[in-house]
Amino acid sequence: MRAGIVYLIIAIALVAVSFLKDRQKTKDALKATFKIFYVVLPVLIFVFVLMGLIQVYIPKEAIASFLGQKAGPLGILFSEIIGSIALFLPPAVFPFGGYLLQNGASYGAIAGFVFTAILIGITTLPLEIKLLGVRFTAARNIFTFVIAFFISLFMEIILA
Amino acid sequence: MSKLLKNDAFWFIFLSVVITLTVYAINADHGAIVAKTVYLTFADVLDIIVAVSIFIGLFQVWVKPATIVKLLGKGSGYKGVALVCVFPILMGGSLFTIFPLLKTLRDKGARMGAIASFITAWGGKAPLLPLEITFLGWRFALLRLSFVVVFAFLMGILVDRVCETPA
Repeated sequence: MRAGIVYLIIAIALVAVSFLKDRQKTKDALKATFKIFYVVLPVLIFVFVLMGLIQVYIPKEAIASFLGQKAGPLGILFSEIIGSIALFLPPAVFPFGGYLLQNGASYGAIAGFVFTAILIGITTLPLEIKLLGVRFTAARNIFTFVIAFFISLFMEIILA
Repeated sequence: MSKLLKNDAFWFIFLSVVITLTVYAINADHGAIVAKTVYLTFADVLDIIVAVSIFIGLFQVWVKPATIVKLLGKGSGYKGVALVCVFPILMGGSLFTIFPLLKTLRDKGARMGAIASFITAWGGKAPLLPLEITFLGWRFALLRLSFVVVFAFLMGILVDRVCETPA
């Protein structure tokens, strides 16, 4: 059975439990679900087009040499920079990561990309500074980048 | 019309179509590859995305921000640190949606380190686990999730050092 079907069955079971406990809350939850779906879907399609473009215009060897095992720690650094700049919603991060993996990127590079794509965002910097201050924002983003590098290195060593 | 132009969903779809058609116009074979990539990946993730959206929707309704703030308190003490490094892993949303929540936590007296731990742990993204396992494998997913807890803990210590210097 497809894994997606299993997840769907679990999700529907949870909705049923929620419905038995509180109808109104379940209605609100499904409304939220539709909203999330509506926001995420177009971004996903756009990322899939991006994947198609890479397939057509960027040779596999280029991905492997920049983000592959041969690139070593430098490959992780590259992928972290890509992740920091990329305007990806979290749900788009994993399909794109899987795509890079299939095309020769190393596990370490994928980990670096995933961590920074989720945790560092050029677009969210102004909001973070406004709400939590410059000092915090600088410290958090820099430490995130550095620690993500070492964890990705570990992951590469363990998974390779 | 002006409403449509401000709609992100519209722009993402519009750009996707324009790019695909442009590639097709330049080289029909290339256009077909792009279309096929979109179609195959889409077919691969659709049911997972629906399931994930349901998980996040349910979580949003059953676990209110006020509950989270109460649960986490100041994020101090062993229990507080453990909670702030693990609990946010279960949450959905993007950075845009969690910063306001963190502001509330801060106003209630949470340390800066606890805030940093929270953001990092939130990056664990357990609701997206179905996607992560499908595309990157369960070994990668489990390893990353375990490291996220360590990551969150380290962030707390480091950010506290820099941002909570005693007067």
